[in-house]
Amino acid sequence: MSDDDLDDLFTEEALPDEELALDLLEEELRQATAILDPVPAALRQIAVEAFALHDLDSRIAELSFDSVVDALPVRGGPAAPRMLTFHAGEVTVDVELTAQGLMGQVLPPRSARIEVLSGPQPGAPLTTDDMGRFTCEVPPTGPFALRLRTDEEVIVTDWLTV
Amino acid sequence: MDRADVGGLVQSAVDGDAAAWKALVEGLSPLVWSVVRSHRLSDADAHEVYQTVWFRFAQHLGRIREPDKAKSWLASTARHECLKVLKSLRRLTVTDDPQLLDRISEDRTPEQSLIDSEEAAAQSERVRRLWQEFEELGDRCRQLLRILMASPKPGYQEVSAALGIAVGSIGPLRQRCLRRLRARLEARGAV
Repeated sequence: MSDDDLDDLFTEEALPDEELALDLLEEELRQATAILDPVPAALRQIAVEAFALHDLDSRIAELSFDSVVDALPVRGGPAAPRMLTFHAGEVTVDVELTAQGLMGQVLPPRSARIEVLSGPQPGAPLTTDDMGRFTCEVPPTGPFALRLRTDEEVIVTDWLTV
Repeated sequence: MDRADVGGLVQSAVDGDAAAWKALVEGLSPLVWSVVRSHRLSDADAHEVYQTVWFRFAQHLGRIREPDKAKSWLASTARHECLKVLKSLRRLTVTDDPQLLDRISEDRTPEQSLIDSEEAAAQSERVRRLWQEFEELGDRCRQLLRILMASPKPGYQEVSAALGIAVGSIGPLRQRCLRRLRARLEARGAV
């Protein structure tokens, strides 16, 4: 939002007539939007189905580190991995995303069954090793979250777009 | 859909009422979509961000502290997710490519949904021209107006959350941007 030398426009209060004309123009724009750029029906349907993600029994692991936001940018070269850290109380989930897939670890180490979610439907199942490590050879794209089931509880990470 | 309605629907959805959730999606999708579209994302990225916002809303439903501010929550979540996607695109691509941002903004107007019947042709020509002038506004105006164009019109609280600017600066900015658009249309003899 750095362009637009808006100050060249007269800044006095609009007269009632002009105010009305601007309101009409805005309304016309709103109608044009409804025709030219409406919410795609298929997307709306996905949002309706997302109610299945409403689950008060699981704990949310909040995103506490995202290299896109929190790390210094890497200049040039091939894509650097995207590093994510999620926290739910004493449990930490570290995830590394590359073009080759996904690697991660649950800390403190524990075994868990993990699903890679891309929507309300069940995701690809993974299992950790004894150290809590897991890998997936398909790189996730689009909306992304992990659901972890341990013997005691279910943890779901914050959703984000990858 | 005013704040009290939204708060009530959120509460019902928390209690498991799928119809209330559907009403929230129907009522607030245009706001989320407008915020997403106000950022210069590709169609594919815009679709993904829209979904992420709703997935996160469903996930956080029972944990949102002020349910009657759900509209602002959605607007601000959409904004942050858009900014992050834009940032990750810049990161993942060689950074000395000056064409990147121009490339992203190509092909983003879905004209395929343009109404087609003959009697609507004149009207659609006017709509198309209006849209074109709107698209050619500077980023700042384009972004503000795209958010205001959600239906129903969003309140300034939501616009503030969607843009990260003070409520008090929205009115004057709106007026300037609409004036600017009007001047462009007049210059083309389209008013």
